[in-house]
Amino acid sequence: MPSRPDRALVLTALICFFGLQSCTNQTKQTLRIGAIPDQNPERLNRLYGLLSTELSKELNVPVRYKAVTNYPAAVSAFRTDSLDLVWFGGLTGVQARLQKPGAEVIAQRDIDAKFTSVFIANTKSGIKPLKNKSELQQLNGKRFTFGSESSTSGRLMPQHFLQQAGVQMNDFSGGKPGFSGSHDATIALVQSGSFDAGALNESVWKSARKNGRIDPAKVKVIWRTPPYADYHWLAQPNLDKKFGDGFTEKLKYTLTGLKKSSKSQAKILELFGASSFVDADQNQYITIETIGRQLGKIQ
Amino acid sequence: MSRLSPTPPILSLLPALALLPVLISILISFHNGGATLLWEFICAAVHPSIQAEVVQSAFRGIQITFSTALLSWSLSSIFGICLGIASARVVWETFLGKSWPATVIRRLLAIPRSIHELLWGLLLLQMVGLSPWVAIVAIVIPYTSLVARVVSDQLDTKDRRALKGLKQAGAGSSSALITALGPAMGPVLLSYVGYRLECALRGATVLGVFGLGGIGTDLQLALQSLQFHDVWTALWLLAAVMFSLEQILSLIRGYFKLSKNGIWQITTILIVLLILCALSIPWLNAVDIDLGEPLHWSPLPLPTFYELIDAIHTLPWIQLISSTMLLTVLAAGIAIGTPPLAMMLWPSQLGIAIQRIIWGLLRLMPTPLTALFLMLFSKPSLAVAALALGAHNIGVMGRLLKEGLDQQSDNHLKALSAAGAGTRSAWLYGCFSGQSRSYLAYAAYRTDVILRETVVVGMVGGTGLGWQLIESLGSFNWAQVIVLIAVFTALTLIGEAITDRLRYHWTGSTKKLPMVVDLQS
Repeated sequence: MPSRPDRALVLTALICFFGLQSCTNQTKQTLRIGAIPDQNPERLNRLYGLLSTELSKELNVPVRYKAVTNYPAAVSAFRTDSLDLVWFGGLTGVQARLQKPGAEVIAQRDIDAKFTSVFIANTKSGIKPLKNKSELQQLNGKRFTFGSESSTSGRLMPQHFLQQAGVQMNDFSGGKPGFSGSHDATIALVQSGSFDAGALNESVWKSARKNGRIDPAKVKVIWRTPPYADYHWLAQPNLDKKFGDGFTEKLKYTLTGLKKSSKSQAKILELFGASSFVDADQNQYITIETIGRQLGKIQ
Repeated sequence: MSRLSPTPPILSLLPALALLPVLISILISFHNGGATLLWEFICAAVHPSIQAEVVQSAFRGIQITFSTALLSWSLSSIFGICLGIASARVVWETFLGKSWPATVIRRLLAIPRSIHELLWGLLLLQMVGLSPWVAIVAIVIPYTSLVARVVSDQLDTKDRRALKGLKQAGAGSSSALITALGPAMGPVLLSYVGYRLECALRGATVLGVFGLGGIGTDLQLALQSLQFHDVWTALWLLAAVMFSLEQILSLIRGYFKLSKNGIWQITTILIVLLILCALSIPWLNAVDIDLGEPLHWSPLPLPTFYELIDAIHTLPWIQLISSTMLLTVLAAGIAIGTPPLAMMLWPSQLGIAIQRIIWGLLRLMPTPLTALFLMLFSKPSLAVAALALGAHNIGVMGRLLKEGLDQQSDNHLKALSAAGAGTRSAWLYGCFSGQSRSYLAYAAYRTDVILRETVVVGMVGGTGLGWQLIESLGSFNWAQVIVLIAVFTALTLIGEAITDRLRYHWTGSTKKLPMVVDLQS
């Protein structure tokens, strides 16, 4: 008869075996999509859930959305081939493309070619709406917040315009600006008075206003920036090899073909804050690359 | 005439002075908008969100965090015990008659330990992309080395007479080692390894805050979009899990204390580790974390020599290093001085009970979240970073002090009170003085941990090596990342050497680890 330690040993070995067994599941060829986390997570999950279903239906491959919680992680995930198709901001898209030669800009929203940021201020801060860029000087000595550090519309372009107006980062109260982490957080922190002013993506601002999340008595827009090119879809160079010839073209066609006339597609476009997706080209982002280099975000 | 010097009890209270500059600078920048948010946050504690989506997501998150912690803990404990034996001088001396290989292994093991698990996580993320293994391996690397250090320290400080006797009587090397040192190692391993699980749970939560999945991610996203009700759903869930874990572990410790069979304890620990390790894999699979997914190995582009030199020249080293040191000193001061100060000021039963709850809450809240939270009503500054880092460690030091005090007899306290001393001085000299030396020794060790942890709050203060590292990672400047990690490693190794000296100074000449080993982190 086996002794107690023997039985324990056999049992341990069995459990270990089954544990390892369950670890070696086969994975199918799945299109893995991702996005920079520029809005609140519930919204992102809903949006990309719908988009995955739609893409899967149109392209006939399984599609999976993988959430990423910070901007550089999205870039790294693209560089390391953990994601096939990513919704990037201007700066992150350029960073990702530089690290992954051959990656293809495949589409952007109708609003992205001429995108804008807004500067907002708490009504008690005493900051008045600006007549021109040079009046950004008013922000000297105020508590000011950007969104995420690697955000194009929440940091890069606003910082660029501030510097053009002669406002340096150490001119803000406390010697440096804050980084709220996201556009939604910027609205909340300026509205609550934690910061006197902040800058964010105008499309997020508009949708927050539409959803009644903004109290006009507490926070107002003080300036809208000149337009620049921002968000876009970036695809891995190897998609045709992975999913069959012509897949990248088909993907481009499907995205730009999303229409408001279909009910499910209209919902996706609405959540993206766009009327449609249009063709995009990497040359649109040369300015962003130059500014990114000036501000040290691209080496 | 003997030189006047502060006694250990007073010396443990002095660091609390760090609270003054920190609190003053935070109060100055406090503003009205913040008060509203603070109030909302407090109110939300009694009304956590019970929406199905939020609860489901938090429930899935806690499972991911817990099973990640379980897997990385069991792996690191197994590796750590093996490496600990391999780096013990006594083992090499028994087998080969010389101890230098142990010293070499020990030195090498100091490097993985000197880098915080968060940094390992961020680096691995760059190299293998989004994979559940990133969080697991990030915890396994430093924890293995920590366990190994404790195991080898313990083996080397054990009484060797029995071992010598057995050897002289002709016993084989391995059986002599097991018979002579094994039984005494049982309880030590049990309590220390158990404690590492609590640490792994906290570590896995922090990794989540930085986007590596689990409940930390839920907390971070909810706090960032100011959904306080959702924050509390996740926090209460985390609290429940942490509290039950602490209770279960202390029950197990109590149960095993009765048994005297050390070898049996070690065998049980190893079997339990293997089983839990094996069970956590299907558990992770069940919550849709696929460990079988292939890794996308892409090594970082190696910077050239010229780029490295350039990185050394461009970074403001004096400012980076001095702010890191200042942050460490302030946070350590707060963490070391506050628990005994609070206990001295409020030594009644009720006071102690309330303090225990507060320390528990402080331990629960991941440091970067405390910092983010403080920033809602204060400007980002070094003071905020120091307070956040200090607060978490108050939780750890407070618990340690309480457990240490519970184990000693209260004869001195009674004697002093009976002799007419005031409650506070009676507590200080009757109760605390018995523990103050080992408390200080542990505090020295904790300062080390705090130095490593500065990287977690660097982003908040916008200062120090931690901030610069995360900024350089964000701009994908590999040359800077490499140089910064090298400097940070060197700094923590120097810090470790200094605090080791202090520790030996306060615990006498013995090289034994101070106090109950089970509270080492």
